[in-house]
Amino acid sequence: MKKINWGYLGSLCISVLLAFAIGAVILAVAGFSPLQAYGAMIDGAFSNARHVGDWLEYAMVLCLTGLACVLGSRVGIFNVGGEGQLLLGAVAACQVGVWLTGLSAWIVIPAAALAAMAVGGLYALIPGWLKVKVKVNEVITTIMLNTIAASFCQYLAKGPWKNPNKNMVAATAQLDTRYWFTNLIPNSNLSTAIIAAAVITFLTWYIMQKTSVGYEMKLTGQNPRFAFFSGIKTDRLVILCMVISGAMCGLVGMFRVYGVEHLYRSSISNQYYFEGLTVAMIAQYNPVTVIFLSFFFAILKIGAQGMELSAGVPNQIYLIIQTVIIFFMAAESGIFASLRAGAMRRRARADIRRKGDESHA
Amino acid sequence: MLEDILGSIFSAGTFNQMLRSATPVALAALGGAMTEHAGIMNIGMDGMILMGAFFGVLGSYLFGSAAAGVAMVLAMGVVVGLFFALFVVKFRSDEFIIGTALNTLALGLTSFLSRSIFGTAGTKGNPALPTVHIPGLDSIPFLGQVLNDNSLFVYLTWALVLVMWLFVYKTPYGFWLRASGEKPETLRTAGIAPEKMKWLASILCGLFCGLAGAHLSLGQLQGTFAENMANSRGYIAFACVIFSKANPVMAFVAALMFGFFDAIGLRLQDYISSDLTNTIPYIITVVMMVYVVVRSQRRKRRAGGRLTRKQA
Amino acid sequence: MDEIAVRFEHISMAFPGVLANDDVSLDIKKGEVFALVGENGAGKSTLMNVLYGINTPTDGRVFIKGREMTDFDPKTAISMGVGMVHQHFMLVPSFTVAQNIVLSREPRKGKVFFDNAAAQRKTRELVEEYGLEVDPAEPVEELSVGLQQRVEILKTLYRGAEILILDEPTAVLTPQETDELFAVIRRVVREKGMTVIIITHKLYEVMAISDRVGVMRKGALVGVRNTSDVDERTLASMMVGRPMLYDELEKTGAPGDVMIQVQNLTVRDNRGLTAVDGLSLSVRAGEVLGIAAIEGNGQSELIEAITGMRKIESGHVTICGQDATGLSPGAIRDLGLAHVPEDRLATGLSRDATVTDNLLTGKQRRPEFNRFRFHQRTSTIERYARELYEKFDIRGAGTDVTVGSMSGGNMQKVVIAREFSFDSPVLIVAQPTRGVDVGAIEFIHSRIIARRNAGCAILLCSADLDEVFRLSDRIVTLYEGKITGEYTGPYSKQEIGLGMTGARHDGKEAAS
Repeated sequence: MKKINWGYLGSLCISVLLAFAIGAVILAVAGFSPLQAYGAMIDGAFSNARHVGDWLEYAMVLCLTGLACVLGSRVGIFNVGGEGQLLLGAVAACQVGVWLTGLSAWIVIPAAALAAMAVGGLYALIPGWLKVKVKVNEVITTIMLNTIAASFCQYLAKGPWKNPNKNMVAATAQLDTRYWFTNLIPNSNLSTAIIAAAVITFLTWYIMQKTSVGYEMKLTGQNPRFAFFSGIKTDRLVILCMVISGAMCGLVGMFRVYGVEHLYRSSISNQYYFEGLTVAMIAQYNPVTVIFLSFFFAILKIGAQGMELSAGVPNQIYLIIQTVIIFFMAAESGIFASLRAGAMRRRARADIRRKGDESHA
Repeated sequence: MLEDILGSIFSAGTFNQMLRSATPVALAALGGAMTEHAGIMNIGMDGMILMGAFFGVLGSYLFGSAAAGVAMVLAMGVVVGLFFALFVVKFRSDEFIIGTALNTLALGLTSFLSRSIFGTAGTKGNPALPTVHIPGLDSIPFLGQVLNDNSLFVYLTWALVLVMWLFVYKTPYGFWLRASGEKPETLRTAGIAPEKMKWLASILCGLFCGLAGAHLSLGQLQGTFAENMANSRGYIAFACVIFSKANPVMAFVAALMFGFFDAIGLRLQDYISSDLTNTIPYIITVVMMVYVVVRSQRRKRRAGGRLTRKQA
Repeated sequence: MDEIAVRFEHISMAFPGVLANDDVSLDIKKGEVFALVGENGAGKSTLMNVLYGINTPTDGRVFIKGREMTDFDPKTAISMGVGMVHQHFMLVPSFTVAQNIVLSREPRKGKVFFDNAAAQRKTRELVEEYGLEVDPAEPVEELSVGLQQRVEILKTLYRGAEILILDEPTAVLTPQETDELFAVIRRVVREKGMTVIIITHKLYEVMAISDRVGVMRKGALVGVRNTSDVDERTLASMMVGRPMLYDELEKTGAPGDVMIQVQNLTVRDNRGLTAVDGLSLSVRAGEVLGIAAIEGNGQSELIEAITGMRKIESGHVTICGQDATGLSPGAIRDLGLAHVPEDRLATGLSRDATVTDNLLTGKQRRPEFNRFRFHQRTSTIERYARELYEKFDIRGAGTDVTVGSMSGGNMQKVVIAREFSFDSPVLIVAQPTRGVDVGAIEFIHSRIIARRNAGCAILLCSADLDEVFRLSDRIVTLYEGKITGEYTGPYSKQEIGLGMTGARHDGKEAAS
C-alpha cells in the first residue's frame, strides 16, 4: 500500500459531507435540531473513557466482520450470511464454556474459539458448496440461513440451553467469571479480545496483499474463468475463503460472549454483520480501507447511541447516514463517467473544428 | 396425536392462513418479476416492502383513513422505484450494492421515523384495510371458509396476478419489457430505448412491493407498524421470482407454496417451539433455490439427446 | 439510376480517446450494391451506425433520400427506410420468428393486445414475397445462424426498408449460405429497387456482389472505385496503406514424437448438444496442425476439452504421453501444455489486474518468485514482467497499468508473452491474431514458428484461413464436430472450403 488513492479519498469525503447534510435534513423534518443532534453525537463519542472503550470494541467488530466480507468478495462470493454464522458461533462458544466449567481457562478458551470457528465455518460451507458445486445464488441462501440461525439460537436459548438461574426470556447460562476476557477500560465493552482481533486483522491483510495465495484469490475474484484456465483450483479456493469468512464471523460471536455479554442472548449482535458489510462496500472491498473506516463508523455508532440518550434522537440516523454514503460511492463512478464522456466529446468536437478551420485557411 | 396434527394441518384454517401469508410475498414477487424481466437483479425488495408498510401506517395515522394510507404507499412506491432506477439504470451502479443499501436504508429510515413520530412504543390500531365478505360463498363448505372474509388485498392480488400475466405475455409492452432484459440492443435498434422499460419495471416493482408492505401493516396487522416487519419476505419473493422464471402466475403459485409452509409452521406451534417452526418457510426457500438450478441442469442434459443443431 | 440514396458530408465521429470517423464524405446511389471495406477498427461500422441513428456524429451532415437528418435515432432512420442487419444479430432468442420480426411495430387486437395470429400471417406474406423460407412460429434460439440472418433481413423488410445495411453478413455463414444470401441481395436490388450497403473485409466477396466499393483506413475514406475497375490486390493495398507482402516464414526441423493425442473424443456445448463427435487427431513435436472450420463447428469445444476447460463425455486425450482425460486445467498444464485461448478478455486475461499480474499468472508458485513458497518477492516479479514486456514488444504505458486500458493487439501480446514463456512442449493457440493490427500479426506469426522450430507441438485454430495456410504443416477440416479431411501443402482453397462445408475428403473419415 504505497500509493494512496486520492480520487477515492476525495469522493469519500464529499460523500460523507453530503450524507451528513442529508441526515441534517431528515433530522430537521423529523423535528430535531440538526446542530444539537450532531453536537450530542460528538459528545456521546468522546465525553467519557467508557465510550472510548465501547468505540474500540465496536470498531473491532466492524473490522473483523468487514474483513470477513472482503475475504469472500475477493474470490467473488458474497457472504451475506455472516450474521447467522456469528450468532451460531456465539451460542456454541458459550455452551462449550458452560459444559467445560471447572477446567482451566487455557483449555476452555481455545476450545470455545475452535467451536465458534468450526460452527461458523461449517455454516458458511453450506452456501459456499451450493454456490460452487450446484451454482445456487449465494445471496439468497445466506440471507435465508441468517433467519434460520437466528431462530434456532433463540430456540436454544429458550429451550434446551436456557439459563436455569435467571428469569430472562431467552438467554443461556452465564460463563464462570474466570473465563471472562479481561476488561481493558473499566465499565466499557473493551476486552483483551481486541489483541486477538488485531492479530487476525494483520494476518488477513498480509495473506490477501502479500502472498501468492492472496494473488490467486484476487485473480479468482476478478475473472474466475481466467483463474481456472491458468491452473488455479478455483472451486476449492472459493469454498475455503467462504469457510474462513464464516469462521471469522463465528469468532466475533465468541468475542462478544467472552468479552461483553458473558452469556448468549440476542443482543450479542444486532445486525452487526450487516454494518460490517456496509463498511466493506464503502471501502470498495479494500482491506486497508476497511480497517480505517471501521474506526470512523464505530465513532458514528457510539456517538449516535450517546445522542439517543442525551438528545432523544433515535440512533438509526446512523444507519441512514451510512447508507447514503454507500449510494453516493456506488453512483460516483457512474456520475463521473457521464461527466467525463461529455467533456471528452466536447473536446473532440473542438479539435475537429480547429482542424477544419486550419485546412480551410 | 398424529391424527390431531394432521387434522389441524389440513383444516380450512390452514389454507386460509396460506392465502394470507402468501399475499405479501406474491405482491412483491409480481414487482420482482417486472425487474427480473427487465434484466435487473433486484434484491432490494425487502426494503421496498418495509417502506410500504411504514408509509401505509403513516398515511393512515396522519389522515385517519386506510385509503389515504394506500395513496401514500403508491406515491412512495413510485418514488422508491425512481430512486432505485436512478442508480441501477442511470448510473449503472452495482445492483447488489444498491439493493443491499436500499434494504439497510429502509430499515434505518423507517425505524428512525417510527421512533420520531410514534415514540419507542410504536403505533397500533390505525384505520386498517377492510375485509371483504362475499355473501353466497359461505354456503360452500370448505372453500367458503378458505376464500371468504379475507383482507381486501388478498383479492386484489388475484386480479393483479392475472393483469400482470396478460401484460407480460399478451401485450406489446410485455414483449418490449422482456426484450429489454433478454437482449436490450434488439429493442434499441427497433427504435425503443430499453432504459425506458427498465425505469418502468423499477417503478412497477416499487408500487407492488409498496402494496405488499401495506398489506402487512394495514391488512394483516390492522394498522400496526413494527420495526423490520418485512422480515426477509423480499428475499423470499426474489426466490419465488427465480423459481417461476418471472412468470406472474407461477410466482403466485410459488408464493402460495411459501404460504402453505408458513401456515403449517403456525399450526405446529402447538406441538413444537415456534422458534423452530418459524424456520420452515426459509428452509423451503433454500430448497426451492437448489431445485431451480438442478431442474435447469437436468433439462440441459435431456436436450443433449438431440445430436446437432437444427439446420436450414 | 443516379438518384442519391444516402449522402455523408464531412462526417467525423469521436469516441473518448479515438477518432473513429475522420471527415468522411460519400454518396451512395439508389439501387446499387455498395461495398464498404477496411480492416478491423477502420471505422466502417461506426459510419453505418451514424446512418442508422445509433451514433450521433461529432461533426458533419447526413442526408437520407435528400433530406438532412439531424440528431435522429434509429426509430427515425427506420421510418426513412433504413434497415440494418448487425454483425451480432439483434434477435431475442426466446421469441418466435414472427415476434422478432414485428417487435416495436406489433399488430394489435383491441389497441392493447398483441395479435400473434396477425404477426404470423404478415411474416408468412413476407416469406412468400421474397422467397426467404423460414417458419414464423419457431423460436429463434432453435434456428441455425443462416436462418437467423434471414429473420434479420425479413425484419428490415417488414419495417419497410429501402436502404439495407449488412454488417459483415458472411462472417458466420457457410459458403452455401453465403451464395444464398448473395442471391437474395441481387433479387431485392433488381426486383424491388433496393439499395444495399455491405460491410466486409473479404475482398473476393466485394468482387462477387458489389457495383461500387469504398475503402476505409483509420477512420478515413481513402477511395471509392467502380468494382469493375479494380482487383483484389489493389483493394488490399488501399486497405493497409502499403502493399501486403508477407515474408516466407522459415520452417526447420522434422516432426518428432506424438505430443497431443486425441481419441474418439465427444464433447457437448453449453446448450447440451453434441459439439465434438467422436473425433481423433494427433500432433507431433515440431509440427503445426491447423484446424480449418467455420465458427460453431466444434473447434472451440474441442480446444476447451483438450485443455481441461470443458467436461469430456467420452474418449481420451493424451498430452506428452500421459493421460490428460478429465484433468483440471492446472494438472494438464503441469503435463507440459500452454494455451492461448480464443477469447482473451473472457478467458485469457484479467482486465482489472496490472500487466505484471497478468504476466505472472501460472508461475506465481515458482520458488524464484516466493520466499518460503508463500511470501511474494515483489521486485523479482516486477523485473521478470519488464523483461517479458520488452522481449515480446508490448507497447503501452508500462507494466503497472491495468490490462483493460490497453489496445487489443497489446492485450494479445500479453497473453502470448505469458503462454509462450512457459517454454512448454505443447502449445494450443486459438485465434492468435483476432482484432490485432497488421504489424503485430507479423510478430505473433514469427513467434509461433519460432516455437515450432524449437520442437514444440502446436495445435492452431483460426477463423482466418490465410493464417492457417501460412502457419500449418498440416490442416484438418472440421464440420459439425467431425473431421472431414486432412491436407498437406500446397493447399487448395477450394478443396479445403469443401471440407469445411461437410464434403468428405479422400474417404478418410467415413464415419456415419
